[in-house]
Amino acid sequence: MACSCSCGSDAASKLLYACAGAANTGYLADQVARKLNRDGAGDMTCLAAVGADLSGFIESAKSADINIVIDGCPVACGKKIFEAKGLPFTHFITTDFGVEKKKTEITQEIIDRVSADICGRI
Amino acid sequence: MLIQILGTGCPKCKQLEANAREAAAKMGVAAEIAKVTDIDEIMNMGVMMTPALVIDGEVRSVGKVLTVDQIAAQLKGVN
Repeated sequence: MACSCSCGSDAASKLLYACAGAANTGYLADQVARKLNRDGAGDMTCLAAVGADLSGFIESAKSADINIVIDGCPVACGKKIFEAKGLPFTHFITTDFGVEKKKTEITQEIIDRVSADICGRI
Repeated sequence: MLIQILGTGCPKCKQLEANAREAAAKMGVAAEIAKVTDIDEIMNMGVMMTPALVIDGEVRSVGKVLTVDQIAAQLKGVN
């Protein structure tokens, strides 16, 4: 997580949120968000804090140019949190990338492939 | 009332601080205005873009320089 201080900058702010659920798919969502954060595609921040209504996280989400929510599976907890708060977002689900919940072993190759795919769409 | 201006000290942060001081005076609010420049402290509040305005611990805006009138409206909501 890194602060994209906008002081004196007009750079687009892209915030990344991962469901980080217990299943392999939640792990993948977390790892993809962390890789995108490391690669500079966006700034990872905390989905749980948005769910908890913490004002700094809510206002940051309102001000971001794009909120990228990465869910692990179609239960879509991240999507539901953003919808409940009325916040705008772009949504991805890792199972849409050929990963099966509770079955696919998450390898670095999968993390890299899903990250590259999402990076190309944001 | 405590008004905090979050930012590392750039012109936008200074403008927000000036606007906050003017808004407090305009509204007749006795407010302590404090600057928070430590990036870790800023991020611990969940603020991902600066400048940010915090009133009594509640983050009210992020990444924007609110006008005097906008801040005055926020202060009115608190009083």
